[in-house]
Amino acid sequence: MSLDPQLTSLIVPPDETAHIEEVLNRLVEETGGNHALLLDKSGQVIACHGDANRQDTTALGALIAGTFASSREVAKLLREKDFKMLFQQGVRENLFIALIAEQWILTIIFNKETHIGLVKVLIKKASEELATILQRVRQSRRVRDDVLGSSFRTSMEDTIDLLFRD
Amino acid sequence: MALINVAAREIHCKIVYYGPGMCGKTTNLQYIHSQVPQATKGELLSIATETERTLFFDFLPLDLGKVRGFQTRFHLYTVPGQILYERTRVAVLNGADGVVFVADSQRSKLEENVNSLKELARNVQKQGKKFQEFPLVLQYNKRDLPNALPVPVLDKYLNPFNWTRFEACAASGPGVFDTLKGISKIVISKL
Repeated sequence: MSLDPQLTSLIVPPDETAHIEEVLNRLVEETGGNHALLLDKSGQVIACHGDANRQDTTALGALIAGTFASSREVAKLLREKDFKMLFQQGVRENLFIALIAEQWILTIIFNKETHIGLVKVLIKKASEELATILQRVRQSRRVRDDVLGSSFRTSMEDTIDLLFRD
Repeated sequence: MALINVAAREIHCKIVYYGPGMCGKTTNLQYIHSQVPQATKGELLSIATETERTLFFDFLPLDLGKVRGFQTRFHLYTVPGQILYERTRVAVLNGADGVVFVADSQRSKLEENVNSLKELARNVQKQGKKFQEFPLVLQYNKRDLPNALPVPVLDKYLNPFNWTRFEACAASGPGVFDTLKGISKIVISKL
């Protein structure tokens, strides 16, 4: 049976999570950045590394993915396919956002100590490494029940009934 | 596309509330936010205009806690309903695992509902997905208003594929959680 890739969950196995974290770790270290985030284009945070005090990564993920999706629509109006990179400059912190293989978004947060040129070069390198890993993750067909267990759905439905009520 | 992180034992799903302007999408999220337990909800984030019309989206993360060892999170989004913002709706719809189509039951809003649903179908298909098979529930909102159309009439125009549909009054709450439960269970079944 062929599965619709858009409706199939992205299941990231532990060894690949370790590889992803290694790349993010290196990116933060080599740029001297504060925080790196890997998102899927729907805004879900696949992995992050850096400032452990950041409590707002979920909202950050949603907003960055929103910014990117919005810029993609701007690109289309300008007859560009995509904007591959976005830069947002603040007083204290800056954001550099790069699109990976049209599916994922890599973001690094850094301050004025870090040179933008360095970020540009290293984020490109990290993007290529992550593209290879994510491609591997996407192609590995895993059966959901092997990961979640067959009774997951029933338990989940019970939780939904318990929590979602007036 | 839902995300399952095996190492962190986390599952993330994205649900989008779609529908014409002023149909009650943001009101749905506000009601959910006001009712779910503190430990379950994150902050409700709204990118709105000064007059509180949604400009980009509302975002409400819900953490359902551990289910069979997996921390499960639903991320609820709304789109801006005004016709002007179609491109923004496309952006928010990106990667959604399920959609709640909120229809305004008022007689005068039927055409707007129909057009919005057609636009949704177009946008889902543009993402390479089959609309008929896409996880979707309908919510007929504002059932308490005197000019609300009868449900069979709404069904005739808005429910060609026999989706599960819920009647609701999002402002006061009835039907809001039934709708959320409905779409959540469909999304979970498709993981």
